[in-house]
Amino acid sequence: MGKPKAKVDDKICLACGGCISLCPHDALSMLGGRAFVAEDKCLSCAICIRTCPVGAISGEVYK
Amino acid sequence: MKYDVVVVGSGPAGTVTARFAAESGAKVLIVERRAEVGVPVLCGEGISQKIDDWGMLEGKRWIANKMEGARIYSPDGTMVRLSADMAGNETGYVVYRDIFDKELARMAVKAGTEIMMKTEVTGLLKENEIITGVKANQFNEEIDIEADIVVGADGVESKIGQWAGIDTLLKPHDLETCAQYTLTNIECDKEYCDFYLGEEIAPGGYAWVFPKGKDVANVGIGILASLSESGMALKLLDKFIGSHPELKKGEPVRLLAGAVPVAQPVETVKDHLLLVGDAARHADPITGGGLTTSLEGGKIAGETIGKAVNEQKFDNEILGSYETGWKEAFGKKLRRNYLVKEILLGFEDKTLNLLADSLKDYKFEEFSTFSIVKALVLKHPTLLMKLKPLMKISVEK
Repeated sequence: MGKPKAKVDDKICLACGGCISLCPHDALSMLGGRAFVAEDKCLSCAICIRTCPVGAISGEVYK
Repeated sequence: MKYDVVVVGSGPAGTVTARFAAESGAKVLIVERRAEVGVPVLCGEGISQKIDDWGMLEGKRWIANKMEGARIYSPDGTMVRLSADMAGNETGYVVYRDIFDKELARMAVKAGTEIMMKTEVTGLLKENEIITGVKANQFNEEIDIEADIVVGADGVESKIGQWAGIDTLLKPHDLETCAQYTLTNIECDKEYCDFYLGEEIAPGGYAWVFPKGKDVANVGIGILASLSESGMALKLLDKFIGSHPELKKGEPVRLLAGAVPVAQPVETVKDHLLLVGDAARHADPITGGGLTTSLEGGKIAGETIGKAVNEQKFDNEILGSYETGWKEAFGKKLRRNYLVKEILLGFEDKTLNLLADSLKDYKFEEFSTFSIVKALVLKHPTLLMKLKPLMKISVEK
């Protein structure tokens, strides 16, 4: 069990790609037209969560 | 499948690169992961009138509206008006990006380019560490596409550059996170693009109104990602519209989110590989506008590729003339504007208000450092100290 990972809500994501360009751990990519978090790479830094323009990414780590 | 060039991404930078490469005799393939060129639109849709001189597009179907100038509103509402020739990259036309992109794609196809839709590139093909093409997934089938040159036109989220060992990671300080509605049933002054500044309105960015007609406009916001919180761009956009007497009457017919690099360009050339457009961070760090630089850079890339294919040489040395070319065309401007961005980010609302007050009634004959200094000396000479770093940059050019 590691830290809780960032999670993309498919119902909110507008697939702009910003999170992918910002993820320092290469954990995000576009998959099937939506952003997708590779859990094994996510280090829960929360950059994607803070910067998502529509609030589509959430995670326990971010309060 | 063997091509001279495979271009990953069918946005303007990709299709213009493809077109000029194909016109120089190269066999070119564009792969696009989506099912339609130009859709979804991820753009404010403003472009400089410089495009008139380039002859890259035919007809006028891609034009929504022609602009007379820009109006910049400081945090207290003071307005500074700039005519189109002084307002820079984003003032000129508001375009229909879906049609605009398809027109550019059509021109590429006319030159001999092939296009594959719904084809997502998943990695680079390499032989003895030399790039020989791309691996892709097409309708859930893995395919190899061989090519002497790979062009990464895959946008702000570019993976091509990263796979080739180029550091494309953006810092939150170098990205604007954006949201935009296309609002209809509003009354707008269709001659002007409007920009709204202020810490409360858009921290580290601005809100914009780009009219597409007399009753429809793109209304959007960009905030610096390092100042953002979850969902902030959309929340602030709703707040901006709600507080605007005219815009709040409108209803949206489109919502989009976006990410715009306001960074310094990255390394754009490796053996057998080029990056263009947003993937190369070819966007103006002050405005976030990237259409003109994408087209200009794409043309240089395409011509360089044509030369490389004709000589059958694909190393850094021959492809490097692309990097030299774009640096000559707009590299200096991007570098200078990055420094200006850094300085502007340090300005408080108070300073912006004073600046706007100095400039509002000034009749600009030209938008130069000298004319700004003259306007400031007349009204708020104390501002000159704060602007000193800006002056230094514009004198250096």
